[in-house]
Amino acid sequence: MPISAGSEALRLDGVVSGYEPGVDVVRGASLRALAGAITIVIGPNGAGKSTLLRTIFGFLAPRAGTITSGDFELGGLPPHRIKALGIGYIPQQINIFPSLSVEENLKMGAWTLRGRRATIAERLDAVYDIFPALAEKRNHRSSSLSGGQARMLSVAREMMTQPQIILVDEPTAGLAPSVVPQVYAILTQARTATNAAILLVDQNVEGALEIADYVYVLDLGRVRADGPIAEFSLERTRELIRASLRG
Amino acid sequence: MALGITFIYSIVRLINWAMGAFYMVGSYLQFILVTQVFGVDRWWLAVPCSVALVFVLGALLEPILIRPMFAGNVERKDEYATVVTIALLLFMTAVASGISGPYQRTPGSNLGTIVLGPLPVSGARFAALVVALVALGLFYLFIKRTWLGMALRAAADSRTGVQIAGVDLARIDQFAFGGGVALAALAGALLAPVFLVFPTNGAMTTTKGFEIIIIGGLGSIPGALAGGLLLGVVESLGTVLIAPQYQNAYGFLLVLLILLVRPVGLFGKRLREV
Repeated sequence: MPISAGSEALRLDGVVSGYEPGVDVVRGASLRALAGAITIVIGPNGAGKSTLLRTIFGFLAPRAGTITSGDFELGGLPPHRIKALGIGYIPQQINIFPSLSVEENLKMGAWTLRGRRATIAERLDAVYDIFPALAEKRNHRSSSLSGGQARMLSVAREMMTQPQIILVDEPTAGLAPSVVPQVYAILTQARTATNAAILLVDQNVEGALEIADYVYVLDLGRVRADGPIAEFSLERTRELIRASLRG
Repeated sequence: MALGITFIYSIVRLINWAMGAFYMVGSYLQFILVTQVFGVDRWWLAVPCSVALVFVLGALLEPILIRPMFAGNVERKDEYATVVTIALLLFMTAVASGISGPYQRTPGSNLGTIVLGPLPVSGARFAALVVALVALGLFYLFIKRTWLGMALRAAADSRTGVQIAGVDLARIDQFAFGGGVALAALAGALLAPVFLVFPTNGAMTTTKGFEIIIIGGLGSIPGALAGGLLLGVVESLGTVLIAPQYQNAYGFLLVLLILLVRPVGLFGKRLREV
């Protein structure tokens, strides 16, 4: 089982965070993500799933609790420092730079590697191998991409640094059903190819359960249930989310 | 000048009303460097020095005055930026008046009148045009060919996106503000022998800068270039064909026309839908 095989890549203890002063959205969440495994966080709307990822990536500072990766305390660091530690974040919105070409977008993904031409050329080739559609349009403005291709580009951009921890927020939201398996395939590939720890927030419970190794159910900013994938059948998971909605 | 305003706006998302003050500082630095250090024959050495000094000034002021806009809970960012930059404009103008008095000065020029075809042109004006074109070319190469230039364009697209890519956004803002005011200083230094050096000499160029922005579209760099050209042509044609006294009025008429026909400017994007 990958769970016992992986070492702990990311650990959250009692994390509290939110946007408005005095209003906590994440209220004491504790969880961990292992290397070479996909950890999913599911829960009803408003459970604090996206806020949790934004807090890990440094867009929000935790009000209490600790976020650690190896020996590093991440809480309070700005996003660019967290990125430099080998953590990637794929936000829910399609995240591309429309006025830049497709290739420039990918190069921006390799910002922390700038100056290492050979490495960047290598990674570009690797990305183009996986996404021939992007290779075809490499010199086009990225605003000319279709919605699915733009999503591919925002995922591919984060793969340029081969991060050791990947935070993924709703990767299939708003995608054509035919593209969804492709997105999940990229994530499972990152798990095996670079032994990355993947923390995936998803509304698409069915699709996410298929690739997950470990499950957390988040409700009102706290972990309500967790366990290896074997303990989470689709029926039990749906029932847990329904129970959260009833309160 | 217009390029500087649009450059800062497109990245930092604020309109810097103090651009005229940085134009003024650029012209004073040029005056001081030419008269005290380099001498009138080496004015072309003084220009990059003045520009570099204003870049440093801008980069030092940005963390103090502009950054608080993004930290903490500033509720009305636009109003904050307007108040802070107008205050800065008044402050810098007042300091300049205090130090230099209301006198109009000139660094002088070693360039005589040159004749372009049938037109006699003052050498200083022609030099300003040439240096400005070279500077634009360098600016374009910098924006298109370097990592930092690419990050600046990316930041203009998405401030969140560049942070996700691992760019230190605070540094980008600082650089963009310094670079933008340095462009104003370039205009000030180049035009010092033409429009003279005094504490409020930035006012007319700031007005022209904003006219160009309205014509070309806020936040669009090609718009700033096209707007500048169009404004110059319209003012000159009006001067020759109608009456020279109203030179500045023709530009404002063009602005009114653009606002009626295409309020976002020639290259502008609609930011808010009703």
